[in-house]
Amino acid sequence: MDAVVSTAKLNSNEIFDLMKQFITEVIGEEFVEEMDITMESSFTKDLEMDSIEIVSFSEKIKAHFGEQIDFTGWLSNMDLDQLINLNLGTIVNYIEECQ
Amino acid sequence: MPIIEVNNRGVHIQELNKGAAETVLLVHGMFSNLSIYYFNIAPILAKHFHVVMYDLKSHGLSERIENGYDLNSMTDDLVNLLDSLGIDKVHLAGYSFGGLIALKMAARFPRKIKKLAVIEAPDPNDDKTRDIIDDYSREFLEHYVTNFTDTTKVKMGKRQMERNHRMYEYLFHETSIKSDMILEKEFFSAAEISDIQQDTLLLYGANSNCLGAGKKLKNKIRGAALLEVNGDHNIPIQEPVSIGNIMETFFNNG
Repeated sequence: MDAVVSTAKLNSNEIFDLMKQFITEVIGEEFVEEMDITMESSFTKDLEMDSIEIVSFSEKIKAHFGEQIDFTGWLSNMDLDQLINLNLGTIVNYIEECQ
Repeated sequence: MPIIEVNNRGVHIQELNKGAAETVLLVHGMFSNLSIYYFNIAPILAKHFHVVMYDLKSHGLSERIENGYDLNSMTDDLVNLLDSLGIDKVHLAGYSFGGLIALKMAARFPRKIKKLAVIEAPDPNDDKTRDIIDDYSREFLEHYVTNFTDTTKVKMGKRQMERNHRMYEYLFHETSIKSDMILEKEFFSAAEISDIQQDTLLLYGANSNCLGAGKKLKNKIRGAALLEVNGDHNIPIQEPVSIGNIMETFFNNG
């Protein structure tokens, strides 16, 4: 299990790389290799992540950032359309603001 | 992601608000997983309660198991889970097939269950749900289409198609899930249903083809309340905030 790491503030590029790492860990390297993951990539359409994979991804964010980021709470305020259209850039911005 | 060992089997669980005095345990439906609660319903309940979600065997991230899908086995699994978490008593909620598991828990282990919320549990003997496996598959696909395609109905991607196909193949052809479910046809007629003593809330979609099952349960369980929510069988996806708030109030009172 990932330990809660107390990190210095990350810039958006560093957060993006970290998110890419989490996505790779969740869906597997062989799938990620075929994808072009960008800030615009949406979780459901582009990355084809299903809900249980998004749960795993959320858990990784929680484990990494600890209580400074209420990622699940943030997601829970979104409606279905927002969740479906959620892209990596929006998450990177949210995490950057929370730090 | 917490995978814990319960009877030497890997079970995926998620917990929120661990320090709270009372626990609410949430059981998902067939071909689904704990994510049906994770994003909306569980965070609402976690304002007051310790919330535990788990993936049923061969579902979500829990270990694949070839047999034991009848309600006795499924409730044995749940009791073992409670024991390994050191939890004595819970408020229990279950959706669809998980609702049947919740009813069976209340009947078999009444001392472990405080209040009971049953969401859209189908009658295993209903004409409309007689071919139970087909119904559950449709439900799963509907869930999938509602959740993971956009308004233009983008087709399931290759990787998800393969994942789903693998799960169906496994559950249909390599486990006892079909034959175990057929054995439960008479469950709603069993005396154990009428003997349920817990405060019981039945939540059904006003347009659901399972609403008749909810009415049947209301007549059988003494003092049970039946609440109709806007939507059909998929109310946890269609009205997650309502479902969360209604359950929070129900479990909180008294």
